[in-house]
Amino acid sequence: MTFVIAIALLTLVGLVIRRVPSVAEMELPAQLAISFAAGMMITGTLMFAFSLAGISWTRVSLGMALAACAALGVWKRAAGKGKGWIGIALFVLLTLYGVMTARETCADLMYFWGPKGEKFYRAEKIDVEMLKFPHYFLMHPDYPPLLPEIYAWGSLVGHRFSQWGALALTPLFLLATVLAFRGIAARKIGEELAGHYAVLMAAVLAYGFAAGMVAGAGDPPLLLFEVIALAALTFEDDWRLAALGIAGAMFLKVEGTAFAAVLLACSVVTRRRVLPAIKAAAPGIILLGAWIAFARHHGFLDAYGKSKSALHLHLLGKVTSLTARQASYGAFYLPWLAALAPLSSGRNWRRALLPLLAGIGVIVYTLYFYLHDADPAWWIASSAERVLLTALACFVVATAAASE
Amino acid sequence: MVWRFAARGGPYFEAPRTVVDHVGRGTHETRDALIILPRVAKLLPRGAEVTCFRPIGGQEHYDSANYLTAVGMLPHQTVLPPFVAGLLTPHRELVEYVVAIREPFTHPAYVPIAEWPEGRVYRVVR
Repeated sequence: MTFVIAIALLTLVGLVIRRVPSVAEMELPAQLAISFAAGMMITGTLMFAFSLAGISWTRVSLGMALAACAALGVWKRAAGKGKGWIGIALFVLLTLYGVMTARETCADLMYFWGPKGEKFYRAEKIDVEMLKFPHYFLMHPDYPPLLPEIYAWGSLVGHRFSQWGALALTPLFLLATVLAFRGIAARKIGEELAGHYAVLMAAVLAYGFAAGMVAGAGDPPLLLFEVIALAALTFEDDWRLAALGIAGAMFLKVEGTAFAAVLLACSVVTRRRVLPAIKAAAPGIILLGAWIAFARHHGFLDAYGKSKSALHLHLLGKVTSLTARQASYGAFYLPWLAALAPLSSGRNWRRALLPLLAGIGVIVYTLYFYLHDADPAWWIASSAERVLLTALACFVVATAAASE
Repeated sequence: MVWRFAARGGPYFEAPRTVVDHVGRGTHETRDALIILPRVAKLLPRGAEVTCFRPIGGQEHYDSANYLTAVGMLPHQTVLPPFVAGLLTPHRELVEYVVAIREPFTHPAYVPIAEWPEGRVYRVVR
């Protein structure tokens, strides 16, 4: 319990994001959801900086730094509570039931997210010795460290790593994703419509979480950051808020960098402005660049050093077919239909273009990744339902954007 | 979602014993490890070298699921890959402790020191 509360309270650290004018004008639940994402990002960056500086993570050292960040937060009142609460609560509670009865657990929680969080916590730093230990190469040593750092923070406060706590964060990430999306969308399409599409987002993601077994893995927080970035660019052209989402996604999973690249490329194409895209990408590029340099310096570069691996283009048919089978989510493609069907009655196609292109881009890079494996069947079976959640979220954002 | 949850087996309103109890109809490959490793953690001395796998034919094999799970659940010990308890491993290089999930481990250099229904702990005889 303490583990979960400690991580949830990172919202206080992120309240500084309310200084961004567009965030300050949102409804309170959206402000808190975005503050939660910002709090995780600030904490993860601080923990990485502490490791670089050789400062141990303790409750005092980290706690004081985080308290200082929290003190910079803004406490003014926010207007509006948003719509669609009953539908959102239903899917969040179903997800809570699913994770607490061990029906959504991702095996990667036991294989590497959890062990990394545990080891980082015990080492009171990013555990370089563990990451470069050759026999732990299956743990993706150079994967970005944000989630293990957050787990280590929760463990530090709770005095132990909690697998159940990691699972219990899943409905929290789902709620934050939906509330952030609703708050950003409401400013352009109105509270009523934003409430409807927030329920749709909750339904699609909650079902995807259950089908894809994501609890405890990096996908739920990744979606939080991705949806913030995408919604910020789609509804607001808010490059500062997008920068938070992009940096979070890039510092969380390898796929986050691919998403950031696709999103920024699509935004340049649709907006015909390059400079804001560079500004939005800069924090993430700096942070990820520092991480890759850190990994290279300590000799545990792995996934980021494999850019020259062979592309098996002759497998395109097989990869597409296997991925398409997984994409049905065992429900005759219902999540895709639910996300895209309302688009047919949409009117603002211009606004929907960015998330639509981004969603298609996600599908393309997913296939591209799979084409780098000579025998990708197992990889696709074990990951496609999770990875494609990003495309589903893009299409829900597109549907909402077109609805005005 | 309800159908999905129902398909993963009951009981539906009881606290599960491990985080993988209902991820599928069958028993997850790491379930036994998740049950016994917390007990093993209390049994082994800090800093001890240990490996963990489900033996096949009484011997080690590269059981990455249980091995990686042990890395996180035995944070005070050094968890090594299963081949350090192989029949061909020189005696002086054999890992001190072996956590054998469910099945018995029959390497002649090891003796059992603890046993539960989900597995056993063995120690090498030097």
